[in-house]
Amino acid sequence: MSAATVDSRPSNRVGYVAIAVLMAASIGVQIVRDRGWAPFVPPDPTLWLQSGRVAEKVFLGYRHLVADVYWMRAVVYYGGKRQRAGAQQQSRAPATANFEQLYPLLDLVTSLDPHFLVAYRFGAIFLAEPYPAGPGRPDLAVQLLERGIERDNGRWEYFEDIGFVYYWWIKDYQKAAEWFKRAGEQPGAPAWLEPLAATTLAQGGDRQSSRLLWTQLLASDVEWLRNSAQLRLRQLDAMDQIDELNRRIQEFEAREKKRPTDWRQVGLPSAPLDPTGTPYRVNPKTGLVDLGPGSILFPLPR
Amino acid sequence: MTSAIETEALTKEFRVGFWRPRMHCALDALTLRVEAGEVFGFLGPNGAGKSTTLKLLMQLIYPTSGRATILGRPAGDLDVKRRIGFLAENPYYYDYLTVEEVLAYFARLFGVSGAAVAARVGAVIEDVGIEAYRKTKLRALSKGNLQRVGLAQALINDPEVLFLDEPMSGLDPIGRHHVRDLILKLRQRGRTVFFSSHILSDAESLCSRVGIMAQGRLVACGLVSEMLAFELKGWELVVSGLSDDVAGRLRTRVRTITPLTHARFMLDLPPEAEPETLIGELRATGAQLVSLNPVRETLEDYFVKQVSAAKPRT
Amino acid sequence: MRVIRLIAGAVFKESVRDRVPYAMVVFAVLLIAASYLIGQLTAGQDMKTIKDLGLAALSIFGLFIAVFIGIGLVSKEVEKKSVFGLLSKPVSRTQFILGKYAGLVMTLAVNLGVMTMAFFAMLYYMNATTPAGVRAAWPSPAMDPRLLLAIGLIFAELMIVTALALFFSAFSSPLLATLLTLGLWVAGHFNADLRNFENVVDSAVVVAVARGVYYVIPNLAPFDVKAEVVYGMPIAMRAVSFTLIYAAVYIALLLTATVTIFRRRDFK
Repeated sequence: MSAATVDSRPSNRVGYVAIAVLMAASIGVQIVRDRGWAPFVPPDPTLWLQSGRVAEKVFLGYRHLVADVYWMRAVVYYGGKRQRAGAQQQSRAPATANFEQLYPLLDLVTSLDPHFLVAYRFGAIFLAEPYPAGPGRPDLAVQLLERGIERDNGRWEYFEDIGFVYYWWIKDYQKAAEWFKRAGEQPGAPAWLEPLAATTLAQGGDRQSSRLLWTQLLASDVEWLRNSAQLRLRQLDAMDQIDELNRRIQEFEAREKKRPTDWRQVGLPSAPLDPTGTPYRVNPKTGLVDLGPGSILFPLPR
Repeated sequence: MTSAIETEALTKEFRVGFWRPRMHCALDALTLRVEAGEVFGFLGPNGAGKSTTLKLLMQLIYPTSGRATILGRPAGDLDVKRRIGFLAENPYYYDYLTVEEVLAYFARLFGVSGAAVAARVGAVIEDVGIEAYRKTKLRALSKGNLQRVGLAQALINDPEVLFLDEPMSGLDPIGRHHVRDLILKLRQRGRTVFFSSHILSDAESLCSRVGIMAQGRLVACGLVSEMLAFELKGWELVVSGLSDDVAGRLRTRVRTITPLTHARFMLDLPPEAEPETLIGELRATGAQLVSLNPVRETLEDYFVKQVSAAKPRT
Repeated sequence: MRVIRLIAGAVFKESVRDRVPYAMVVFAVLLIAASYLIGQLTAGQDMKTIKDLGLAALSIFGLFIAVFIGIGLVSKEVEKKSVFGLLSKPVSRTQFILGKYAGLVMTLAVNLGVMTMAFFAMLYYMNATTPAGVRAAWPSPAMDPRLLLAIGLIFAELMIVTALALFFSAFSSPLLATLLTLGLWVAGHFNADLRNFENVVDSAVVVAVARGVYYVIPNLAPFDVKAEVVYGMPIAMRAVSFTLIYAAVYIALLLTATVTIFRRRDFK
């Protein structure tokens, strides 16, 4: 160790270089290791605390923070699974994504923080989503939302969401209308819920009422809800367009006794595009219009 | 001949304050030279820059500008550190080690090994008078004893130059006496001692030269005898166990008798009084000596004059 | 070298006699003993619970010891000025830091060793008192040597934590250093989630930042092979080797940074 001059502090140039090199090395080692390796996830991951009730007591004053942490886990868990599931679907591998932990996680989050609005709503929507995007459990979705009603002062959003689950996934329009009506009766509910209930009862399953519902959700302040609504609306638009195109085709066929060979024969200047810009395709067997391959609107509902 | 300690315009500025930092000058262009074999007293009130100087010499802090050398090498040089010893103010070592263990540890750091370690440790323990506590863990020691351990570790390598920051602090009179003897012994052996203190009477009796610091600046430096007129203005004698009639008899010979706590009395003697004789007489009556301090108003005056004349730094 | 060894020895002596780490070890041993009782409550999952609990105890108490001793022995020393005693000797600041680290690691090793022995004693007892039929149902044997691998990785992780504690001690107060070290330990374990960010978040900037943070802060999750060992699953030795190399590199990085800071510091 050499003597340091007193005029200035010891020079640290060697130190800085060493630090940079070592930092780069540590990153390099991680990159090499991470290739083809992911942390082990136990077959049935043990959520040590499965019970929301126990968790409530254990975490005492820090419940909200812990709820946030579990929420983050739920988002990442769900997001990761969705991605893997999506990848599997594209490779036509059997869906092995299992969302078993999603409900317990959401239960935990909402037990720790009963006012965590988004957790109830997120949970409900995605619990209800069928494979491969979700576990396909609308019953659990309703259960979660009912708990929301119980614990979070019966906010109208929960009623509306339950109605929605019945409407879109369970397809019980009677029940859906009931819930929409109850939602409309909650304080702070928007004015369109009552008419929606009426429409649902009258025409449940109708594209018009569906469109109404999704249009309302377009105004939501939750991004993925908005995105979902947008997708659904486009699907409805596409369905309308397909119906119109097929109507024209069938009209032509009835008139000319043969199928049209060009779009101009049914009054269109060029090949029609669906709302995402993907051209429709004509099914050669039926002569009817269908969604083009690769359109993100696939699969159309019902 | 190379000096033992030398500084040249040594300056240290600290940034003070977090939100609107300003520079505080703790040491302002100190230029000083201490020759080998000198006992140099570095005096000044608290905050004058004494500790800062010592830390700069040990390279515990780095100077803003200027230089310092010890035995001809730059301060902080590892070879030089083999030949010096340092005692910090209010030293603290390692709670759970015993006195012997700490001193042996330090001895080994200097390269002493084997049987020589025990010999050195024994020698310094004796020198500072702490034999009774050899095997005591440091956390159990009183402040005074801890100070002695500090002195011991400063001497463990038989240094050529010894740096002491307030060596008398925390010591009882016997301890202080011990330290004074130690310093004189070192002086006889030709060692250099550089110590800081705000107790002026110590400096007088020990030092060949003194430097007086105030507000970060050296306001006076030189031979003690040159600086001061050595006018003795009196004595302060503190005794205990003074009976009333003895006190009565003393009234002619002393200027005032002031009772202190714990049944002690302070006797203010005129300069011509011979305190040693008086102490002997008092002892015969059963009184005990607590302390004896010469009152040299001159030194105090000189000190106070120099210190208050120093304008505060911006 | 000799100086570093001397400093390490003094650190070891000092901290082995310090009461708090001692208490930690006692606590850990008690917890391991208690895990036997807890195991009885989990209806057939007792071996798994005991292993889980035992490894968790080693991990947590090891963490407390690492942080406590690490901070105590440097931050406290700087605060209380005993560092003056050492630095006025022919000891360079680099030797000071390296010696402290070596001593801390030795202390950690001994403490962890004691806890490991208690743990294996418990497992031995479990093994001896359980009928053969039940034992066959265990996913992994009681005295599984792979447990030592898990503990070894815990030790490696704690060596990083100790280096972290030392790093923060070089320039901050004991309290701040403690908070920063523990904070980074927590962050280092949640690190894996950062890696998955791109699956969940759209913004490319956020993903890039998350990736950056993932690589820079100590990545502690891969040191945790408790689940694999308890379930009897295979452990990827390639990944483990790289993780250990990572530990060595990261520790070197931290020590270099510590020395760099320490060398230029004023000790007021």
